[in-house]
Amino acid sequence: MTMPIGSITTGSTGAAAGAVRSSTKDAAPGAAGAFGDSLNTLLASVDESAGSANSAVSNMMDGTGDVHQAMIALQKAETSLQLTVQVRNKLVQAYQDVMRMSI
Amino acid sequence: MPTLTAALNASASALDAHRARIEVAVSNIANAESTRGPDGQPYRRRDVVLSSAPVETFDSAFGRANAVGVQVADVVEDQTPSRTRYEPAHPDADKDGFVSLPNVDVPEEVVDMLGAARAYQANLQAVGLIQDTIKRALELGK
Repeated sequence: MTMPIGSITTGSTGAAAGAVRSSTKDAAPGAAGAFGDSLNTLLASVDESAGSANSAVSNMMDGTGDVHQAMIALQKAETSLQLTVQVRNKLVQAYQDVMRMSI
Repeated sequence: MPTLTAALNASASALDAHRARIEVAVSNIANAESTRGPDGQPYRRRDVVLSSAPVETFDSAFGRANAVGVQVADVVEDQTPSRTRYEPAHPDADKDGFVSLPNVDVPEEVVDMLGAARAYQANLQAVGLIQDTIKRALELGK
């Protein structure tokens, strides 16, 4: 069971893999911390791209930026949000799989 | 996805460059009859010089991205002589009654403008394709 979780986290964030793999016995606290870290990292990147989208749109509004620059920044923000949502779904699913495991 | 971001940045730089081409063609058309500018001389037709420029991303630093963007290297003035037209009543006419007009050929500018607009649209298509590709890659997670 540790292998699929490990491969999921390595593929998406990389940072959480070790923590998850080493916490098969007390899955809940260790895994929760690792999952939280991965999500925090992703949310920080979403925040950053949302911020640059915001400034691109305000640049467009005051005439210093172009429409396409604003739209591309918005699309980048949306893409990174969707990536985060997908990773969150996978992480939550993996976490629930671990929690549901009968020992 | 990082390399696709580099492709996206390359397309974005092309959009900037072709927008500049449209701007210059439009100002040439707008000033086709401007007989005086800030320096008192008739307007001179302007041309955009484009040059390729590597896009700067985290990936390109490691040589993993192959996307090459484009940038406006320069906007140069066309040095061909001005057109002249006999119009003695014009305030900018010389002593023989000839007015110097900009060296702008409007039909040629319209063709340039359409070419730039098409190039812009082609790059919009490229941006759409990259976004579509990223979206499909994200659907792998579903």
